[in-house]
Amino acid sequence: MGPGVARERSSTIGIKLLGILEHRDVALRAVSAACKLVAPAPHGSAWHEFHAEVISAVGEAFNNVVIHAYQGRSDGMIDLRIRTEPGRIRVDMRDWGTSFDPKSVPSPTLDTLPENGLGLFIMQSFMDLAYRPGRPNLLTLTKQLPRHPRTAAPPAEGPT
Amino acid sequence: MKFQISKKEGVTSLTIEGQLDALTVPELRAELDKLVDHTPPQVDVDVTNLRLIDSSGVGALVSLFKRVRAQGGKVEIRGLRDQPLAIFKLLRLDRVMGGISRPAAEASKTSKSRA
Repeated sequence: MGPGVARERSSTIGIKLLGILEHRDVALRAVSAACKLVAPAPHGSAWHEFHAEVISAVGEAFNNVVIHAYQGRSDGMIDLRIRTEPGRIRVDMRDWGTSFDPKSVPSPTLDTLPENGLGLFIMQSFMDLAYRPGRPNLLTLTKQLPRHPRTAAPPAEGPT
Repeated sequence: MKFQISKKEGVTSLTIEGQLDALTVPELRAELDKLVDHTPPQVDVDVTNLRLIDSSGVGALVSLFKRVRAQGGKVEIRGLRDQPLAIFKLLRLDRVMGGISRPAAEASKTSKSRA
């Protein structure tokens, strides 16, 4: 079985992490590896853009939990579940910290060069976001790979 | 994250490599504060080997840009690519901060062709 065949399957990866910034890199490495399962290599520019956007959004989600939900506590847990299908990724992030209301966070005014308050904007710009407050809070980020043969019309031409 | 600061003939060069994020940015911020206190009029920031940046890292660079500009200076960021480029484009920093999205190699090619 070639690597392309193996990567076309659906898969679920689950990791439990501490809600501390030192564990952010572990979460992002797992998500980065999962992005490779979404489409077989070689990866074109659409995949690289997809990968950059998914990593950016999940990184901001992780920061938000550490900084806002757990507010500096070092014993909070994050349950990360990454679901991949051909052309699509879904990341569920559960935490047991303070909830928030995404609708109450104002959008940044980019022309004023804001130095903070950009995290949620980055998440929502790069991925579809759903949030359910509770015990645990559940943040779901999903993204479709543009022009993937299983999810969209095939491109007219392959890479040259 | 690794960074290096050097000063030569009125230009401060700052090179940042690796990951600039909420975990690593406090170390850089402390140095940027010192740099802004005694800054030459131009700061060149090379991010060719910056692999990842988050909103905290962007905040530090935007703060540097604003403070240097307030003193009449200029900050130019070069070598943006991959994930850092996606973030800068989304936040429209490439429009606001002139020359920010030119990769170092491309910038050097342009200056050579103009020479």
